[in-house]
Amino acid sequence: MPIEISPSPENPHRFQRRGFSCERAIKYFFASNAGLTLVILLLIIVFLLKEGLGFFPGYRRELEIYRIAGLEFVDISRKNLTAHEQLSSVLNRAYFAQINGQCARELKRSQEAAAVFNAFSDQTSATRELIANHEATGMDRGSEMLATLNNNHACQKQKALDSLPLTPHLSDTERAELIESIRARDVTTVGDPPLVTALAQQYASAQQQCAMPIAEWRSVIDSFEAAGADLSALVTEMTDAVTTTKEAIQNNDILENDRKSLLAAAANAKDPSERQKLMAEARDSLAEKPDIEGPMQSLMLRKPDCIATHAALRQACEGILAMLPPSLSQSDANRLLLAARKASPLFLEALTGTSQQITQWRHDKPVPLSDSIRSFLTGKDWVTGGAWQDFYGILPLLAGSLMISMVALCLAIPAGVGAAIYINQFASPVEQAVVKPVIEFIAAIPSVVLGFIGILIFGTILRDLSQLDGLAWVPGFPIEERLNIFTAGCLLALMSIPTIFSLAEDALNNVPAAFSEASDALGASRIQTTFRVIIPAAFSGILAAVLLGLGRVIGETMVVLLVAGNRIKIPDFSAGLGTFFQPSHTLTGIIAQELGEVPLGSVHYRALFVVGILLFAVVLGINATAHKFVNRTTN
Amino acid sequence: MKSILIATTALITLSSAQTLSIKGSDTLGAKLVPQLAEAFKAAGNKEVKFEIAAEGSSTAFPALANGTAQIGMSSRKVKDDERTFCRTKGVYLKEHPACHDMICVIINKNSPLSGLTKAQVSKIFTGQVKDWSEIGGSPGQISIYTRNTSSGTYKDWQKLAMGGRDYPASSLKMAGNEQIAQEVAKNKNGIGYVGLAYSKTPGTKTLVIDGVQPVAQNAKKYAYARLCYLYGPDKPSPEAEAFMKFVESPAGQEIVSKVGFIPVKDL
Amino acid sequence: MLNPELLIRKGLPKGHFKDRIVRWILGATTYAIVIIAALLFLKIIKDGAPVIFTSKAPFVNFEFLLDKNETLHVFDDAQGVRHQLPASAYNDYLKGHNGVPIYNQQTFSYSGGGIVGPIVGTALLTIGSMVLALFFGVCAAIYLSEYAKQSPFIHAVRLAILNLAGIPSIVFGLFGFSVFVLAVPVITSAPSDRSWLTIPLFIGDMVVSFQGWNSSLIAGCATLACMILPVIITASEESLRAVPQGFRDASLAMGATRWQTIRTCVLPFSLPGILTSSLLAITRVAGETAPIMFTAAVAAKDDLPWESLANPWDLLSSQVQALPYHIYTLAARIPSSEYTQRAQYGSVFVFILLVMSLSVGSMLLRAKLRSRLKW
Repeated sequence: MPIEISPSPENPHRFQRRGFSCERAIKYFFASNAGLTLVILLLIIVFLLKEGLGFFPGYRRELEIYRIAGLEFVDISRKNLTAHEQLSSVLNRAYFAQINGQCARELKRSQEAAAVFNAFSDQTSATRELIANHEATGMDRGSEMLATLNNNHACQKQKALDSLPLTPHLSDTERAELIESIRARDVTTVGDPPLVTALAQQYASAQQQCAMPIAEWRSVIDSFEAAGADLSALVTEMTDAVTTTKEAIQNNDILENDRKSLLAAAANAKDPSERQKLMAEARDSLAEKPDIEGPMQSLMLRKPDCIATHAALRQACEGILAMLPPSLSQSDANRLLLAARKASPLFLEALTGTSQQITQWRHDKPVPLSDSIRSFLTGKDWVTGGAWQDFYGILPLLAGSLMISMVALCLAIPAGVGAAIYINQFASPVEQAVVKPVIEFIAAIPSVVLGFIGILIFGTILRDLSQLDGLAWVPGFPIEERLNIFTAGCLLALMSIPTIFSLAEDALNNVPAAFSEASDALGASRIQTTFRVIIPAAFSGILAAVLLGLGRVIGETMVVLLVAGNRIKIPDFSAGLGTFFQPSHTLTGIIAQELGEVPLGSVHYRALFVVGILLFAVVLGINATAHKFVNRTTN
Repeated sequence: MKSILIATTALITLSSAQTLSIKGSDTLGAKLVPQLAEAFKAAGNKEVKFEIAAEGSSTAFPALANGTAQIGMSSRKVKDDERTFCRTKGVYLKEHPACHDMICVIINKNSPLSGLTKAQVSKIFTGQVKDWSEIGGSPGQISIYTRNTSSGTYKDWQKLAMGGRDYPASSLKMAGNEQIAQEVAKNKNGIGYVGLAYSKTPGTKTLVIDGVQPVAQNAKKYAYARLCYLYGPDKPSPEAEAFMKFVESPAGQEIVSKVGFIPVKDL
Repeated sequence: MLNPELLIRKGLPKGHFKDRIVRWILGATTYAIVIIAALLFLKIIKDGAPVIFTSKAPFVNFEFLLDKNETLHVFDDAQGVRHQLPASAYNDYLKGHNGVPIYNQQTFSYSGGGIVGPIVGTALLTIGSMVLALFFGVCAAIYLSEYAKQSPFIHAVRLAILNLAGIPSIVFGLFGFSVFVLAVPVITSAPSDRSWLTIPLFIGDMVVSFQGWNSSLIAGCATLACMILPVIITASEESLRAVPQGFRDASLAMGATRWQTIRTCVLPFSLPGILTSSLLAITRVAGETAPIMFTAAVAAKDDLPWESLANPWDLLSSQVQALPYHIYTLAARIPSSEYTQRAQYGSVFVFILLVMSLSVGSMLLRAKLRSRLKW
């Protein structure tokens, strides 16, 4: 209830005469403080845009260099070369899977024996080295010391022997023999125990035996690999040429920038001699325009060569791929073979299409600004600091952020909302008093601690779990990397549960008591009341809770930086649900990881700010939607 | 009034000269330089204070240029554009070789492999070979651990071992040598590269490349050997100069070899 | 006693079994969360508590809390006895055993000594940012609750507060880096190259140069204060509004001015509430890593912030260590082994203890306040 202070009429202060009182000054002081929030928000937007918008012209120039230096042209051939390498890798893997599948028993036996010996030498190697050091230095006063050390060694040896890993594929006599040979080892013994060597040999000969029947296939793969040699040589040669051109252009750009900054410094310099010096330097920095046309013309002369090489490769591959065996006896190998069969027509088609691409490619096609925006928004690669070309494509990061959020929400929504319903509708007052503070406590755990837990504890537990034979049916198990999308998602779920829980609980609380009373009066059971009356009434509030939880998850940095695995690649969705066990990188993680390392003002630096703008917009959008839902409930 | 202000600025410059801020390479900054600093203080320079940040060689030069560091660590030679950039800021870089390093290829100790050829290493790190069985290991998909992009080792490795090609997108970027070693020790299908000083991590083993074991004696024969540098301005502060002298002195070089690098004069 | 409602429910045999299953599932979910949280805490306490607490008097390992952070050296002496020494002790050992060789030496960065640097740094960052945020936040809240009428300005302010509260912390890091580290004005005689505007002051060669505060304590405090401002404003406004309108009316009726009313009849009654809820804000400030990564934090620093300063205000322009950043370094930068566990779990335990005690304190105070202040 605002009340205007009327100035006392008898003795007006001179400020008051001008309509300006001390009271008013105080009021404006407070108002300016309130306005500070506006200023901060404005500053955030302005500075993000200021640093970020420079990205697109800079990136455009990089893409332009990519084109005019001819890197783009080389990449056409390089793409095919990579495809060829991938295909031969698949074939090779199929070949070895076939062999290894057939001698799996020998492999297991050899591995188990080696594991036993490794476990032993792990525990004893430190002391053994010490003793060896002693003997090497030949210290005479060591006799007593050596005795101590030898004693230590014996103890460690005994301890190691007591806790050797299991060997289900070795017979009892073999195991006993192995242990005996290890026990008999002296401090100075080098080399593997005889059984380990023998089993390794057995495995090698088994491999040879299995390779015999498919020797023909081996030669097919070899000839396939060899077919790529021409293209590979061509690409290498062109790579050298275009890299030189690119470096020349980049150096010119740097010198040009340098000259500009030197001239600017000279203009500002007060001391005349200093100014002279800077001007002279600027003149030194004046570079000739690098020759782009010359190398480009010679590159263009290679076009027919390129087309011919591709045609030859296509012809060779077509013939070779037709000779692939129809199927293989080992299931793993067969799967890979099928994959190769599926991929080969695509590969051949790509080779055919290349000649047209090569003919049509022009180095002087302009690179409009829209290209850099499109390349940023739809680019599949985020490659920085590489030797070839930097790409700033947002998709791998976006995919990582979204997948991690998906995992987190899939876990947090049922848990958070379920707990809210239970506490609000079913729990006894005692339960409420215990559970609510505990869940609120989780919210107070700093995110870096959750990341710490993920990297040191949870990830390792998850991987050990995934290696249990009993859990092999889970898609994606056994996992390759302990730090992956799922690990990060689990921890973020834990983090967002308190947000979702307390907001959803509020929403349930806000449902008027009359609703449930009316429902009770109609004879509905408790469950019916809850699920048919209260939850629908609180639905938009619960939705808002979920959205706010999502906002928190997407914006979270430390957990994903530590735990998501930092692989900048769009996850391989062909793995089905196993996709969730691949490592990934995120929008927030990339900023935290790279901002500290990039030179100020570089394109890479600006790219990180653009990522920040994107993040800012996404999170604000989510929050705004959430608040709309909240307002709907309160109204 | 004026004199007070001038006195204040003088005080500010005085105070900033007492801390020695060192930035740059993780290869040098995670182990060697902190220990050199500790030994430097133990050798009678108690009043010098150190701030060491090791984020990667590329961070050294911007920091030197704008004066936030007095010494830059780099596991590679300074690039032309970086030198020019520093010069435009009035900092003329002076190069001090600190030690030799060999980039070692490490794998999990449970792998049966003990050596690779250069061609195989190149194939693995460029992603042409995806499974250990393709090069004679026990079957399993290869996990490649590399350094982050600002690292000098990252770029050196592209040049030395990969023929200038890019890393495959499936490689995992780690912030430092220690993390690479740690992940490789935990992953039986892992492979990574680390500086010589980090190659002794338990759970990993160092591969013989083209028949050459990466040990100090073989530094000339080994395929992936390089020099590491400290960079400073041509007119360093007295502390920075004393520290550089200490690094080059026999006492400093002894620490270099104790940490696991190779002293400059040994080659 | 006959409860008609119960009778109705018991008379519904169809839903009964389903009822129990649903209830059981919901309960299990709830307790699963509680158990997971408890397990987490137990694990940290189990590994971290032995670092801090000892069985002998004085029961607290002050060394870990009060020593500076150093490299840890692990080595065997000639007898095969394993030593773990922080760098300073290690150097003393080498001096004391001149020339005696040591074997199997390993070093672990950041793992020796104690964590006094990060603790002090976090305390300074927290205090600095809370002072800034409380001052501006409470003033803004006074305006919003005592003066404001419906107006486009107020609407915009409320929208700004709502939006600020949702911005991810890493974006605050970017903002703090581009504004406080690189762009705010300083008075200096030697403007840096990156300064985007210099205004001469005509005192000596002093100029106002917009070149930022570098990565420093003050830049970190300002960034954190911006981040926490919406929380403080909202909480303070709530506390201010909780003071009954009658207090104000009575005061104004006595002829007091609005400011006198606020000073004597509103603020004193709402202050406990403001301070209590700002305790909760402290937990957030102390726990954040992303905003200080680029604005204030440094991984290794020999000195405590106030040591070797020429003048006291240099404190503000020096970088500090911080507990959350230290934990990030310990988790991401060094291998986990039996030798680093002490530093890792010890730091996390101290950190959790700090944050939790603040958060419990705030909860208890709030409960007490609610029971005491009822108008």
